[in-house]
Amino acid sequence: MSGFSLLEFIQQIINGLTLGSIYALIAIGYTMVYGIIGMINFAHGEIYMIGAYVGLLVITVLGLLGVDSISLVLLATLAISILVTGSYGWTVERLAYRPLRGSPRLVPLISAIGVSIFLQNYVQLGQGARDVSMQPVLTGGWRFGPEGDFQVYLSYMQVLIAVVTVSFMTGLTLFIGRSRMGRACRACSEDRAMANLLGIDTDRVIALTFVLGAALAAVAGVLVSMYYGLVNPFIGFIAGLKAFTAAVLGGIGSIPGAMLGGVVLGLAESFASAYLQTEYKDVVAFGLLIGVLLVRPTGLLGRPDVEKV
Amino acid sequence: MNTFSRSVLSAAVGAVILGLGGLAQAADVIKIAVAGPITGPVAQYGDMQMIGAKMAVEQINAKGGVNGKKLEAVLIDDVCEPKQAVAVANQIVNQKIKYVVGHLCSGSTQPASKLYEEEGILMITPAATNPAITQQGYKMVFRTIGTDDQQGPTAGKYIATQIKPKKLAILHDKQQYGEGIAKEVKKTVEAAGMKPVLFEGINKGQTDFSALITKMKKDGVDFVYYGGYHPELGLLLRQSREQGFDAKYMGPEGVGNKDISAIAGPASEGLLVTLPADFSTDPANAELVAAFKAKNQDASGPFVMPSYAAVEIITDAIKGAKTEDPVKLAEYIRKNSFQTPIGKVAFKDNGDLKEFEFVIFAWHADATKTPVK
Repeated sequence: MSGFSLLEFIQQIINGLTLGSIYALIAIGYTMVYGIIGMINFAHGEIYMIGAYVGLLVITVLGLLGVDSISLVLLATLAISILVTGSYGWTVERLAYRPLRGSPRLVPLISAIGVSIFLQNYVQLGQGARDVSMQPVLTGGWRFGPEGDFQVYLSYMQVLIAVVTVSFMTGLTLFIGRSRMGRACRACSEDRAMANLLGIDTDRVIALTFVLGAALAAVAGVLVSMYYGLVNPFIGFIAGLKAFTAAVLGGIGSIPGAMLGGVVLGLAESFASAYLQTEYKDVVAFGLLIGVLLVRPTGLLGRPDVEKV
Repeated sequence: MNTFSRSVLSAAVGAVILGLGGLAQAADVIKIAVAGPITGPVAQYGDMQMIGAKMAVEQINAKGGVNGKKLEAVLIDDVCEPKQAVAVANQIVNQKIKYVVGHLCSGSTQPASKLYEEEGILMITPAATNPAITQQGYKMVFRTIGTDDQQGPTAGKYIATQIKPKKLAILHDKQQYGEGIAKEVKKTVEAAGMKPVLFEGINKGQTDFSALITKMKKDGVDFVYYGGYHPELGLLLRQSREQGFDAKYMGPEGVGNKDISAIAGPASEGLLVTLPADFSTDPANAELVAAFKAKNQDASGPFVMPSYAAVEIITDAIKGAKTEDPVKLAEYIRKNSFQTPIGKVAFKDNGDLKEFEFVIFAWHADATKTPVK
């Protein structure tokens, strides 16, 4: 096509980082659950979808009540969405995983797929299958570059997404690294049976993992409903698939890996759209995944897996 | 063996009873299946189809039905998914319903039409516009709407002669309907000597278009044609405005409904849409439009009147041909013309309408539209 432009390149990086932040937030839920119980939570995409619905509902209600302070809307929405979505995460663990603890790995996998189908249909029945949309709460942004020519545009919303994502991830890293509960999480991830013997309530740790994953998915959901303004009961599927890819790309089980994987995936999609054809964006994204797994089977930041006995 | 023969016997008795029940019912009711999306992302269009068909059934029944029999509309949901559409078609076959008004999306109409053809069921779609549906050599398939090879050229000609954009981009959603129509537009503008700078597919259900928009902005695109449905276009419009990409957009009738304004808000102002002429403004339909209004329904949706017409054509054919045999009705429909709310219609041999007009409308942020030609 036409020549390379630095400004366009910068814009594409902004686009990719925004998309990548969302992927990363969802990917953490996959990676945490895998890190601790060694299983993929296939209902996680639906948990994110519920987070987006709650976000949209709360924002709309606050709008009707006349609350127009952005920070207040954001905080209230995040808090409510995390609360509601977190309880869904807890319930999923309670219903689909805990009763099946100790059964062959395929069994909870299938029950999670069941929960995923259930949640999708449950929301569809309750909220209708149609797209629910909302006008942007936060508009505007900064423009850089020569007037009249191509200008780089950085919206307030994109900055907000980056800030919220980074702060929640820092929070999570601190929690896992410093707190008592976080230490228990790490212990469970190392060796669950041993942790149990040493007096750690592993059931509680696993429940916490699901709730934390769901909370981050809720954050992603709220950001998505604010940014794109369109939610339907089926958004969890594609988003879940992409986030799962991001988690595997970064090294499943590794939290920094999920963050990196999300960003890499977002950038890859953005560049594929920009410099190839939009059609090829998923081809490039999944091609990248295959390529990385061929060279590094454990993903970008994954530890070589020692087979647990 | 004993239990086996007993169960065979009871099954046989059951079948006889059920069969008789079916006959007894068939004697005084003529069932018409209305198949389309009742749920799913494009259920709005299903609504138009359903209210149109239901109104026709009601009004025909109020006038005494067809040859003394009452009509019954059987609404079936295909979610606009090809797989589900085949399941729905099988359901219709099993229920021994002989007439179908539907389906709605081209992608679901085509696989379903194969079953109807094989089973001798008369199908009239009020909405599926992909040309391929009537190019299969089928005898049982008709439509009361135009095709993309009429709609595409209408849009293409308008772009080439009226808009004359410096740089045209054509996008589509890689679905049978969207890609089909985008290709028609491309063909038409290319015949007029214009070369689109970009012809690309996006994914159905995609939410982030920022990278694509950046690319179009950088390439200096000033007009975008989008073949597909409203959810994706709504987001495209919204994100374009957000990024300060101010090209004008145009789309087919699949984007022309109120939700595009709900999603895109002010960004939907000025969007161009090719739609069937608004039959609800035709003075001949005033009474019918009033009947819709009395039920608090909107008669102006693009598929409402074509649905009404489809039911009317089936019943007029039953009266005219003095038979309920769908195969004979198909022959009758091919040879005769019918007076309907979409005008006097006659069909080509392949089941397409002889004439159908698409009109270009400008869409507004408050979800209203005004014709531009």
